[in-house]
Amino acid sequence: MVTQTPVTSIAGHAPASQHGSRAFDVVYDWITTVDHKKIGIMYIVYALIFLVIAGIEALLMRVQLAVPNNTFVSPQSFNRLFTMHGTTMVFFVGMPILFGFGNYLIPLMIGARDMAFPRLNAFSFWISAFSGFLLYFSYFAGSGLYGAGTAPDVGWFAYAPLTARVFSPGHSTDYWTLSVLLSSIGSLGTALNIVATTLSMRCPGMKLSRMPLLVWLYFVTSCIAFIAISPLSAAQIMLVIDRYLGGHFFDTQAGGSAVLWMHFFWIFGHPEVYILVLPAFAFANEIIPVFSRKAIFGYPAMVSATVGIGFISMGVWAHHMFTVGLGPGANAFFTLATMVIAVPTGIKIFNWLATMWGGNIHFSTPMIFSIGFLFQFLVAGLTGVMLAAAPFDWQLGNSYFVVAHFHYVLVGAILFMIFAAFYYWYPKMTGRMLSERLGKWHFWLFVIGFHLTFDFMHIPGILGMPRRIYTYEADRGWAIWNMIVSSGAIFQTIATLIFVYNLVVSYFKGAVAGPDPWDAWTLEWSTSSPPPSYNFAKTPTVESRRPLWDLKHPEEPDTQYE
Amino acid sequence: MSTAVAVAHQANEEWRQPSRGIVGMACLIAAESAIFIIFVVAYIFYTGKSLTGPTPREVLELPIFSTICLLSSSITVHFAVHELRASKVRLSAWWLAATVLLGSIFIASTAAEWYKLIYHDGLTIRTNLFGTTFYSLVGLHASHVIAGLIMLGLALIFTLMGKVNQSHAERLEVLSIYWHFVDAVWVVVFTVVYILGR
Amino acid sequence: MEQKSEAGHNAVHMPSPTVWPMVLAMGLTLIITGMVTSAAVSVLGLILSLASVIGWFREVLPHEAHQMVDAVEEEIEISSARKSIDRLPIDPMHRKLVPLEIFRITTGIKGGIAGGIAMIVPATIFSLLKYHSFWYATNLMAAGGFVSWAGQSDQFLAQFHLEGLLAALVIHTVASVLVGLLYGAMLPMFPRWPILTAGFLAPLLWTGLLFSTLEFISPVLNERISWFWFIPSQIAFGLVCGFVVNLQAKVRTPQFQALPFALRAGLHGAIGEAGDETHPKDGKA
Ligand code: HEM
Ligand SMILES: [Cu+2]
Repeated sequence: MVTQTPVTSIAGHAPASQHGSRAFDVVYDWITTVDHKKIGIMYIVYALIFLVIAGIEALLMRVQLAVPNNTFVSPQSFNRLFTMHGTTMVFFVGMPILFGFGNYLIPLMIGARDMAFPRLNAFSFWISAFSGFLLYFSYFAGSGLYGAGTAPDVGWFAYAPLTARVFSPGHSTDYWTLSVLLSSIGSLGTALNIVATTLSMRCPGMKLSRMPLLVWLYFVTSCIAFIAISPLSAAQIMLVIDRYLGGHFFDTQAGGSAVLWMHFFWIFGHPEVYILVLPAFAFANEIIPVFSRKAIFGYPAMVSATVGIGFISMGVWAHHMFTVGLGPGANAFFTLATMVIAVPTGIKIFNWLATMWGGNIHFSTPMIFSIGFLFQFLVAGLTGVMLAAAPFDWQLGNSYFVVAHFHYVLVGAILFMIFAAFYYWYPKMTGRMLSERLGKWHFWLFVIGFHLTFDFMHIPGILGMPRRIYTYEADRGWAIWNMIVSSGAIFQTIATLIFVYNLVVSYFKGAVAGPDPWDAWTLEWSTSSPPPSYNFAKTPTVESRRPLWDLKHPEEPDTQYE
Repeated sequence: MSTAVAVAHQANEEWRQPSRGIVGMACLIAAESAIFIIFVVAYIFYTGKSLTGPTPREVLELPIFSTICLLSSSITVHFAVHELRASKVRLSAWWLAATVLLGSIFIASTAAEWYKLIYHDGLTIRTNLFGTTFYSLVGLHASHVIAGLIMLGLALIFTLMGKVNQSHAERLEVLSIYWHFVDAVWVVVFTVVYILGR
Repeated sequence: MEQKSEAGHNAVHMPSPTVWPMVLAMGLTLIITGMVTSAAVSVLGLILSLASVIGWFREVLPHEAHQMVDAVEEEIEISSARKSIDRLPIDPMHRKLVPLEIFRITTGIKGGIAGGIAMIVPATIFSLLKYHSFWYATNLMAAGGFVSWAGQSDQFLAQFHLEGLLAALVIHTVASVLVGLLYGAMLPMFPRWPILTAGFLAPLLWTGLLFSTLEFISPVLNERISWFWFIPSQIAFGLVCGFVVNLQAKVRTPQFQALPFALRAGLHGAIGEAGDETHPKDGKA
């Protein structure tokens, strides 16, 4: 076996120039690149930076809520903190990091040299990046309520009429609208690119029915993005018209409707959560089979369940609006539709379990994160089904129970799978392995912290603690639970620090990975780590779903069974 | 075992995939349709809900002529692509020019309509819900027409400069798909705003 | 980019790097930023955007800018450290292929329709016996869809209402067909006691599920439903649907086609027999 020496810098070798410093060359190289791998890495790094920022915001909120009657932050700052935390996590962490992995992996997995539209790809990345900067620039420049220069404070779903000029003077809300609007241009661009790449750039033999499931799931995600993100953009344009041109879309004084905004937002909002979770499923689809040493169970069922989720997710948005009073017909419809989503989701869970069943499971870090994901996603789905029953939701809507539900998905499922993806593909991206020992520390600390925080967060919700309050009285019986919840944050912080340390140190000191450290089966492992700019010296040809399995086991290739 | 990937049996069937340009345009159209749907829904939701006048019935007139112009430009652009495929560049240029002309007539008559609405009927985007939804929906569509016109205009200029040949037929086709889409949206907008909404 | 000069070169077309996408993104962001700061910023953004649009255009028209990159063919060995594969002791296939036989989709639909019709009988008997009306059960089912019917009297529900009939028809057909499809998919998995599973267990489970949730789905129905009569109608559905489904022939899946000839011809028995538990290790499908 020929071991690959890792290329010393993932920046690649900029042509050595006599004048001008080398640092400048490297920067210029990254700024002008149209290489999907570099763009993917930039997406990921940028999302990690925002992850840390939004994480700090969460930490500040938890400190404030740890004890009753706290005055650690002011009510105004608290509003800004949860608004910025939510907006950042969804638009500037979740989407970019998932798009980053997609960008990096999809061409490699389908045997292509680049995305379908490399320049559009670069453009999409940069506009997402700049829109993130624009949002945070508001902390320095946005004049908010009563001229207090500062960030948006209307919540991540920015309900009307709170966003009207009268209730939100100055520009803080405009920062929110405009930066999210800009970032959705980037998201749409990347989604378009992913669809065009999967449909038009596959290497010979890579039929749709042979694509790795990751590619399938990203394809479906991107299709959802077209139909989900555009409504948000439309609603944002309406809001801009209201705020800048004096329109009346959401102006209740002139007959406009605040509920219409809710509808528009959640028509985006619910599919959005599936845009975020499907890539996490995608990682699981690649990681679980490799570490169970078995092919994925029920490939066609997985694909159809994903497509099913895509369709159903379009028709459930109003479960976020039960408390508005939709009427019995709509309540029954959205309750049922929401519960129906649990069916394809359940199919997936069973398929993962069946993949592991009887397998030769290797408990490496990517796999233990995936197992954590399986359990936690199950619980999150269960609380979701509970909330889907309208009468139940009337009691617990807008309480910490809801916050616990969706953090269970966003952290317990999505973030866990993102960590798994890091441990799994970092060797491909850098040529070095991440430390397994630190990985285990990371995992266990994070699991403990996660469960301390989010298991116990359900309880104050059931006890009636509303979300988005900046403090509470001591006699409510919430104090002990909030203390536990906040203490979990400490564990998670330490675990994240270990992770970041691992990322940095392993880049220089990690064990050399070689092209195929996990003995895996998809095409990205057939080229060197990190791959050359052209990915494959020769365009590969595939004949089954697991091309590398066929090569490794010529006596029993998959081709016999397809 | 050695090099690269996969047991190269023979790739006997020819390997064909859809053109990325057309796929990309289809995606764009899907996304744009969703935007338009939301605006149309808002328009329908707010019809008859304005608290003050003027109402659509009082001020809107059917833009029949400009509609005919816009719809027939779909036909002309189709011929432009067709001729370019057949390597008849000059003829293609003529059809392109006709398309740009028809599109411009449409925009000009929209401008005239807005002028009348604003200065004679006193309907602006601030006046009432009708004004808000009308200008934003029709304006959104008009901005798409303008974007299409700019690109068609560029294509025309390049053709006249002699820089276009048969190999660009596919790109022109992608552009023409966009133009057909803009026309189709107009059919919806026309029905909703000028027929149902009145 | 790697540029080593070694043997085995071939040149690859790659799109050349370009600064314009980034500048365009910055330009657009600045235009927007102008809306929250000052117009001068927008002007700057506009200039940048125009410049980059022109620059970008010139790069892709009339031909996309390319650069040639030398692709170095490296020897990358693809092999597995795990050469040993655990074989299944029994199955000559080494792989478990499931399922070998399934019902057609139409089978489920047929079964659902037949069951749906069968269900009407007990429901109508109930309706006639208790309320002396042919339509009571129909209207009761439809009531979930009509808010205004919530407060209506039994008498009202006993009369004929066209919209009630239509709504009930839709609800009943959709539900029956869906459950029928489920039967088509599930029955091959429980081949043992078809009458027990399809005719009794499934209807009872379903009734239990409905019993606990109906309150939320259709309060009107929940108030007046007679569970005593509900169960026989479910069982009627289960028996007839299961019977119709099991009557139909099964078709062989592509997995079956993949089996070696000897197995397909039935020379070796024991394929896909229920309870034939296998423990595939390392790379089993
Ligand atoms: C079986 C699947 C699921 C069901 C049945 C479900 C159900 C629900 C319901 C009914 C609510 C509304 C609660 C309320 O506002 O009163 C809700 C909120 C939420 N869910 Fe889920 N959910 C599911 C999966 C997911 C997934 C996969 C995600 C994320 C990836 C997610 C993220 C969220 C978020 C972010 C909210 C709250 C939005 C907000 O109010 O700020 N859910 N879910
Ligand atoms: Cu939802």
